[in-house]
Amino acid sequence: MATPAPKSTPGNMANFNILHGFPEALVRGMRSSFLADADYHHLTQCETLDDVRLNLSETDYGDALADMNTLIPTGLQKAAVEKLVVEFQYLRTQAVEPLSTFLDFITYEYMIENVMLLLKGTLSGRDINELIAQCHPLGMFKESTMRSIPTFESSPRGYQDLYQTVLVDTPVGPYFSLFLQESAGRGEVSNVLEEVEIEIIKSSLIKYWIEDFGTFVDSLGGATAEIMGDLLKVRADTNAINITLNSFGTPLNEPAMRASDRKRLYPALGHLYPAGTSMLGDVSDEDELGRVLDLFPQYSSIWNVHAAGGSDGKSIDDAFYERDVMQLELAFEGQMHYGAFYAYVKLKEQEIRNLVWISECILQQQKEEIHKFVPVFSFNAPWRAGSKKQGR
Amino acid sequence: MSSNTCQSAYCNQGWSEVLTHMSPYGYANFGIAFGLGLSVVGAAWGIWLTGSSLVGAAVKAPRIRSKNLISVIFCEATAIYGVIMAIILANKVKKPEEALSTLSEDWDWAGYYYAGYGMFSSGLSVGLTNIASGVSVGIAGSSCAIGDAQDASLFVKILIVEIFASALGIFGIIVGIIQSNSCTFPVTAI
Repeated sequence: MATPAPKSTPGNMANFNILHGFPEALVRGMRSSFLADADYHHLTQCETLDDVRLNLSETDYGDALADMNTLIPTGLQKAAVEKLVVEFQYLRTQAVEPLSTFLDFITYEYMIENVMLLLKGTLSGRDINELIAQCHPLGMFKESTMRSIPTFESSPRGYQDLYQTVLVDTPVGPYFSLFLQESAGRGEVSNVLEEVEIEIIKSSLIKYWIEDFGTFVDSLGGATAEIMGDLLKVRADTNAINITLNSFGTPLNEPAMRASDRKRLYPALGHLYPAGTSMLGDVSDEDELGRVLDLFPQYSSIWNVHAAGGSDGKSIDDAFYERDVMQLELAFEGQMHYGAFYAYVKLKEQEIRNLVWISECILQQQKEEIHKFVPVFSFNAPWRAGSKKQGR
Repeated sequence: MSSNTCQSAYCNQGWSEVLTHMSPYGYANFGIAFGLGLSVVGAAWGIWLTGSSLVGAAVKAPRIRSKNLISVIFCEATAIYGVIMAIILANKVKKPEEALSTLSEDWDWAGYYYAGYGMFSSGLSVGLTNIASGVSVGIAGSSCAIGDAQDASLFVKILIVEIFASALGIFGIIVGIIQSNSCTFPVTAI
């Protein structure tokens, strides 16, 4: 679609290491930097945030937090994300084609999120410097590009200008142009709230990104297509379910918009595509969504968590996170494919979410909530053999 | 077909004639070259498979760097099998006592050809098995380095896998030696 097919493939067992042996071993070495069960145990026992800092100083986060006098959850998140970005950029400098394109693909998602954050922020009239400080460092454009994004008005005409003057040179430009083509094709849709419009743009861009990434990964072939393709399929399904779930109670759920707009947001990829997504297109409330997902065993158990109304304190997001962590950990089980790079970034994100959650709970004295996180590479995970929770 | 057949005495009458006209000394020496060359290809392949993973995994876990040199040595052993075989074979190539442009009628032709073909095949046996063995040891060694960096108790376990991969090369050299055992170049006429 937007990205040309790779000129070479990652190679198989016998020749993968020619070009990618070093970066692959690096990312697998970095696997040892994840917090272990014992670390989480110590963190959850902490009474104050200073204790948290003391505990983290003995882990891989020690250097990142060394020059921080007082630990606050947002500061911890910022330092942890920066650490991840430094590691990712180190990997990126060691990579050659087609791995470098693969790694760039991972960053496109953050670029899309940043563009949308800037557009959304300006709608609610927030300061540009404050917004830029909030952007994810993996998806940064040039300073001048970042500053000019919010200057465009939020209308079809404004997006056209935004694309032509700013985004055309960026890697996410092609996705934006696809979005513009499609919205030109569907004609002027009246009385859509601006905020819904922003969500539609974001979901469309992410959809194009997933589809483009999926095509690229497929053309790489071999174990990469197998493992990474599956990760993306699950990702696409998660998006489709979430878009449907979040549309209830918004104009997007009105019968006219269901077919014209919501259906368009489902990625043309994944285990739900095409039979499942076409059924999702007609869903109008949660009961109907539940009936559709019942047909797909891998999602019915996740849906049941939601349908139970969070009886054990779990939301559908937690269920998705748990499933994601399991899937991403599996990417580390095979060797000589690219999936591990994507899995590393996503698992680190989960770890950062965990750290922020734990420190927030300590800050707000909510100790009973503190265990609601999904540890990464935990020996107590329900999907691991020998775990006490087995057969859940 | 017959109209195209060359009638001159110097023409080749088919592949069998081409092959029998190649000198058994040439066959023998090509056998040595393939045996040594392919073994080195296998060893080199294994070493870079292991080496690139080894340096990458050693960034976060420096303790593995000397221990995992064993994997590199296993690959190197593959090249040594080739060298051993090449030396054995090279000692079997003997030049005739009298240097003549043509060999006499009562020369031991059967033994002469037998030695040439035998040594060629023995070199190929060793070379091809050693490529397989070298690549196999290399892949196991690469996984060994990455596994050891995460969990030191895995090292010995994967090492056993590597030893079995390395044994593939030994099968080749055993058969190669047996194949070449009865290959002796005649040095004089019977």
